[in-house]
Amino acid sequence: MISDAELVARVVGADDPAAFQVLVERHQAPVRGFLRRLLAGDHGTADDLAQETFLTAYRRLGDLKTGASLSSWLHSIAYRQFLQHLRRHERQRVVPEPPDAGHDPRTAVDAEYLAPRLLAEVSPPERACLTLAYAAGMSHGEISDVTGLPVGTVKSHITRGKQKLQNWLKEHDHSIPPEALSLKEARGA
Amino acid sequence: MPETPFDETLERILAYPEAPDGTEADGFVVDVMARVRRAQRRRQLILAAFGGIGALFGLAGATLLADPIGRLLAVETLSATTLMQGALLTCGAVAFYVWVMGDDLTLQR
Repeated sequence: MISDAELVARVVGADDPAAFQVLVERHQAPVRGFLRRLLAGDHGTADDLAQETFLTAYRRLGDLKTGASLSSWLHSIAYRQFLQHLRRHERQRVVPEPPDAGHDPRTAVDAEYLAPRLLAEVSPPERACLTLAYAAGMSHGEISDVTGLPVGTVKSHITRGKQKLQNWLKEHDHSIPPEALSLKEARGA
Repeated sequence: MPETPFDETLERILAYPEAPDGTEADGFVVDVMARVRRAQRRRQLILAAFGGIGALFGLAGATLLADPIGRLLAVETLSATTLMQGALLTCGAVAFYVWVMGDDLTLQR
């Protein structure tokens, strides 16, 4: 398999669209997943921002430092796209609807149902830090590179965000039965 | 990075949605590549337009300056030897500048 670095060199050196297509195919799922989490489930906007992310990456691929992680770089562009989107739509921010009255959350503890509601409880930087830490599995240093925040701030965002999510889950009596989560995994398989 | 049971729970809840199915992913890639090709065409068009304008200016300048340059070169003080010395001096100055700047001509570091 051709490495990301080789593909980047081909795009920068020869403006090879086929090489860039391979990069898009390889990185589209994590970038779209990250934006979907940041936008608390608004898949349409997330995909629009993901397209903008790849277009910006194509224009600025020459700026990528040798040896730097392409994935972290793409995530940082996506995060900036998200912040710009927030600034543009500050007044019309969408907050996911709360669970229906009479709805027993324990029967529908589905990550796709719960994640947007949970993430709507934390601030955008906390959301980004939590998503990068738990969904993308990045280290504090990598998260700091992506978000441009100091490592100490990243750590406190994660701690504070976790606390808020724990409190929300307790308030809404959302104990997560393991079988519900394994159900989701089985569906995904 | 799960350290506590709650970390594990969070990891499972926040995990990215299942990878988009083939059709959705293909559609996304097709859309991105269509926009990339448009951007590529636009860039080529801009380069061609500015390159063409630049070439026209160069041609006009060469036509206008052909006579004065010819007269200047005919003068004894600007002989071929003097021009050669000038070119060598310029190359030396550029090499010295590159060496002093440590190859960082754009001053990014």
